Amino acid sequence: MDWFETPESGSILRFRYETETLTLEIEFRNGNVYQYFDVPEPVYQAFCQAGSKGQFFSQSIRGAFRYARC
Amino acid sequence: MPSDPTYLGTVEDVRGATLSVVLSEETVSGLTFIDGSGYRIGQVGSFVRIPLGLVDLFGVVSQVGAGAVPERLAETEPFGRRWMTVQLVGEGRRFGKFQRGLSQYPTVSDPVHLVTEQDLEKIYGRPDEPQAIAIGQVASSESIPALVDLDKLITRHSAVVGTTGAGKSTTVAGLLSTLTDPQRFPSARVIILDMHGEYASALRDRATVFRVNPDPTRGEQQLNVPYWAMTSDELMPITFGALGDTERGAVLEEITKRKREALAYLDNPPITVDQVNADSPVPFSIHKLWFELHCLVNATHTAQQAAQRLETMAFEESPPSTPIQPGDAMTVVPPRFRSIQQGQVWLSQYPLRISRPLEGLASRLRDTRLDFLFRPGPWLPAVSGETSQDLDTLLAGWLGGAMPVTILDLSGVPSSIVNPLVGTVLRIIYEAMFWARYLSEGGRERPLLIVLEEAHAYLGQEAQGPAGAAVRRIAKEGRKYGIGAMLVSQRPSEIDTTILSQCGTMIAMRLANSSDRLHVAGAVSEHLQGLLDMLPILRTGEAIIVGEAVHLPVRALINPPASNRRPDSADPVVFQTVGPGGWNRSQEAQNYEDVVTVWRRQNPRSPRQAKMQDE
Repeated sequence: MDWFETPESGSILRFRYETETLTLEIEFRNGNVYQYFDVPEPVYQAFCQAGSKGQFFSQSIRGAFRYARC
Repeated sequence: MPSDPTYLGTVEDVRGATLSVVLSEETVSGLTFIDGSGYRIGQVGSFVRIPLGLVDLFGVVSQVGAGAVPERLAETEPFGRRWMTVQLVGEGRRFGKFQRGLSQYPTVSDPVHLVTEQDLEKIYGRPDEPQAIAIGQVASSESIPALVDLDKLITRHSAVVGTTGAGKSTTVAGLLSTLTDPQRFPSARVIILDMHGEYASALRDRATVFRVNPDPTRGEQQLNVPYWAMTSDELMPITFGALGDTERGAVLEEITKRKREALAYLDNPPITVDQVNADSPVPFSIHKLWFELHCLVNATHTAQQAAQRLETMAFEESPPSTPIQPGDAMTVVPPRFRSIQQGQVWLSQYPLRISRPLEGLASRLRDTRLDFLFRPGPWLPAVSGETSQDLDTLLAGWLGGAMPVTILDLSGVPSSIVNPLVGTVLRIIYEAMFWARYLSEGGRERPLLIVLEEAHAYLGQEAQGPAGAAVRRIAKEGRKYGIGAMLVSQRPSEIDTTILSQCGTMIAMRLANSSDRLHVAGAVSEHLQGLLDMLPILRTGEAIIVGEAVHLPVRALINPPASNRRPDSADPVVFQTVGPGGWNRSQEAQNYEDVVTVWRRQNPRSPRQAKMQDE
């Protein structure tokens, strides 16, 4: 699973996604890594497309899916 | 002279290594510029230089202002002139290197100069000492690296102290990542006794982690500490508990006998059987010992006292001559004996009164939390005393792994046995290093650094118990066999003073508690106490390093590890700006089922999380 760097985002450093388990892993700029579980592929696709990753994250991912810190 | 921008004032009073300096009228601004950089005059803790011919004397400013006015003058000129108290610390030949100690004293009206960055480099730099490693920057001048002597830091022991939140574990992680730099130190060898499981994430690419409840998906390995490698002093408190002298002697006798019998299975036995005693690291089956002692104490017999043998034990039978429960040693199931009420049987005449301790032992043997001790995987002896693995594989895992750092994560260990466990682990390591002192695996050829995290937890004042004994031994004699200890604690005043005083280097971070500060100050020579007055106001991540590994006490900013290599102890953020969580965010859906899951599994990692780690 490859990481996608997001140099344009102020809060998110990079992210990656695993299709089999629907797990989205996000590393923030403060060094914390979180895994979001059961993120459907369309949501992930939209996340990839989103212009502002941080905004999409706080609107459509944060609070919508369960997560755990790595 | 006043045209020299570094000029501060003149020496007015010399008392041993303490000088009173009066600042010149020209240095009124409090700020001066030398080679384009600004320097503040009269900063407590900053250095001054006093040129005496070809030699420069160096001192540390310990006091500035009205309080530094000599007593006689205090009344006549309370604010008239500006005074400064300076502690002399060493000297340097001009264009030569700095050394501690003084060959001569300054005298009245010698000029005192500010120390510039170039001078500081002379003080802190060690160009001709390859064993000096940079662990951070000098706090007052960040372009100058803070160097410590690697040899002395490791072999003369060290202590990292500081209040919670002062950056202790981050500092230790930063230090360790410098010390285990694969390019510079490919053979570094560090063991961390990690009480809270903090370091695994910080050193994940350099460390092998051993845990009581390992998570194999994260590459963790099972921590096993075979009970038979313990000495009798370590083993007895966690097995039989306190016993009378007679009982204890008899039990040790039994253990010795069993260890001698099991010698046959060892590939590398001692030369003679007589060398084996109850303390020898030779396997024996404690399950079998329990079973046999249990039978001796509790059995009923079909014969009277003198004729009682193992064969005469009277099991409860149904149908006849088939015992209902013959018992089993390895699963710790006691056999059922015929009751004397049924007649025809007699109580066992075993003289020792150990039935209570035996019950305690049985319950400990059944306690799955202690499996790492009593069922240590491949090191579990069968009833015969034979094990599938010997201590060499255990030591190879701890001391000779592919990674430079070994983390023994003790976070899942019941607190009542932490002390004997730490003692045992340290003693096993010490013995291995001690006896291997002429071998390439030994500590003299490949020194070992043992990091004792949260040391106050098991090294209290007059540290009792095996942990205290083991650490005291390492502190006193470890140097000869290449074992260095690094104590990490937030309560230095709670650590046994004999252990703390053996720490040659003290890395003191912010410390607010005055009794803790006194403890640290006691380890520093009298005239540099002024520096330690700064302890309560150090910044996070800033430390005063004193002792053998540095020429001079240095206030340094320790290089922190990369932000994604911080220990897990980083403060929770109540006000979160990045990422989820925090009080300022709308509440997440809560599911306490998951909480119970991780609690019951005794593993803080969510089971769902493990999935992605598989890839």
